[in-house]
Amino acid sequence: MRQGRAEACAEFAVARAGHLYRAACLLTAGDTHLAEDLVQETLGRVYVHWGRVSRAENPAAYAQTVLTRTFLAHQRRRSSTERTMEVLPDRADAAGGDAVLRLTLLDALGQLPAKDRAVVVLRYWEDRSIAETADVLNASQAAVRTRCVRALGRLRDLLGEDIGAYAHP
Amino acid sequence: MPVEQQSDPFEEHPFEERLSTALHQVGGTFHGDRAALSAAGAAHGRRLRTRRRAAFVSGAAGVALAGVGGVLVVPWDGSSAARPSSVAAAPHPATSSPSTAAVGEKEVIRTLEQLLPKGTFSNEDGRGAGQDPDTRPYASVVYDDGKGPAALSVSVDRVEPGGRQARELTQCPDRTLVPYDACVIDRLPDGSAFMVLQGYEYPDRRVDTKLWTANLVTPGGRSVSVREWNAAAEKGAPVSRAEPPLSPAQLKHLTTAQEWRRIADAIPDSPRKRAEQPSAPTGGTAADTLSGLLPKGVEVVKKSGGDDAEYAYVVVDDGRGRSLVQVNVQPDMRDVADDLFHPGDETLADGTRIAVQQGPDEKGVDGVLMWTVDTMRADGKRVVVTAFNSATQHSAATRSTPALTMQQMREMALSPKWWQGA
Repeated sequence: MRQGRAEACAEFAVARAGHLYRAACLLTAGDTHLAEDLVQETLGRVYVHWGRVSRAENPAAYAQTVLTRTFLAHQRRRSSTERTMEVLPDRADAAGGDAVLRLTLLDALGQLPAKDRAVVVLRYWEDRSIAETADVLNASQAAVRTRCVRALGRLRDLLGEDIGAYAHP
Repeated sequence: MPVEQQSDPFEEHPFEERLSTALHQVGGTFHGDRAALSAAGAAHGRRLRTRRRAAFVSGAAGVALAGVGGVLVVPWDGSSAARPSSVAAAPHPATSSPSTAAVGEKEVIRTLEQLLPKGTFSNEDGRGAGQDPDTRPYASVVYDDGKGPAALSVSVDRVEPGGRQARELTQCPDRTLVPYDACVIDRLPDGSAFMVLQGYEYPDRRVDTKLWTANLVTPGGRSVSVREWNAAAEKGAPVSRAEPPLSPAQLKHLTTAQEWRRIADAIPDSPRKRAEQPSAPTGGTAADTLSGLLPKGVEVVKKSGGDDAEYAYVVVDDGRGRSLVQVNVQPDMRDVADDLFHPGDETLADGTRIAVQQGPDEKGVDGVLMWTVDTMRADGKRVVVTAFNSATQHSAATRSTPALTMQQMREMALSPKWWQGA
């Protein structure tokens, strides 16, 4: 009955919420408040469509897709009302040497267009293939490749070739 | 840079590898409150969804709700009146709990096992009470009395005495919405309300797994729910015996045991603000309004009872077969408007948005159609009219299409009568 369904969905939500939140923090370049909103919306949709989600081959990937699309829809709405984020968003404290990497990387991500950021997160955080990334973004593989090249070039400029150095100063 | 290179890009592109490592390192520094996030997600989802039946809370409600959040925790003083939110949001004085001794999960499981007739136990799972105010004590076991393994669970909760949840736990569900073999309600000498329902795991009976549920709500709002199946798991396990192991009388004995009340007392008061339910949309019930708005020429064969202002159904017959018609009436749904309506949907001059859908009922029996007209006024008031070409949500089609046309459903949904007196 519904309760079984609700339980299964709740278990899934609790199990995935942490991962989705981390992905959302990268997508939003460290805007933890927006990240929370995005995860809430994502899990809300998962909850409504749980029948479909639970039948999906990979429910976790499905949720990630919903998150990415929710993020992009949010960006579209925001750009349509021309609200820009001038001030650095609220960021939780990071410990030790990671703090430099964190600030630098989030700043760099924040300078990418939203869709490019989504490509970077899907490709290099979610380890999705070009084809899978294209699928999530409803874009062609060629378009994803173009964005990927552009984003990597920009990040290399901003972060330097040797990103890793920040992690272990 | 040759990004079309797809085989092992990291070997070719050390920057990409370092980027990936950096993303994982930085991503890992963000720690969201998983429980809060999932609870907020569930609350968001609930607002998106319309109900497909009069609320019927079965035994696992406590478990399910504890998981999905939005749990209404009633102050232990037993007051049924809503506290002002400013007070509810403040920490409760410690004196408001009669007993705050924590109960561990092992104790909940042991309590269940000791109250059951002789048998063997496996797959024990449980949750204690006393730490997290949103956690509900719970135990589940696979119990075998020698006649076949059966899943059996108990959950303990607190509900508002006399509130909607308390009523729903101890009322037999409407057979139009949930099929079952038997349901008995009882009032115990101490004033507790009790219900035993002999029903099925799957309302459409695609698998004949039986689910028997017993719910108890004490006058003070302690609630105990026991569920048992005639299979080793609620879903996905073959039927292992003709019936669940405990008879209705044994279920009652288990559910009413004093031990559960002590465990209920261990549930701490929650500082969480009581979920503010917007007030009922109309002066009357949704069932009355729905009946009043039906077009001429259809006869109402059956309608939902109760005093629900937000959900109602009627079964109508226009002489060519029965048809179930449901309505959901929701007061302010502006926050989820973008999830419900899309840019291509119709918008009336007054700002009312309309989304229509005609298709197979995904959750129903093959051949059953579900037609929906979803409307939301500019002030967020939402009315969703849904019609089926079957007489219940779990039976075969009785006719080729629902008894109402989309135009008729639209007129009903847009009627100002839903909001009169609001």
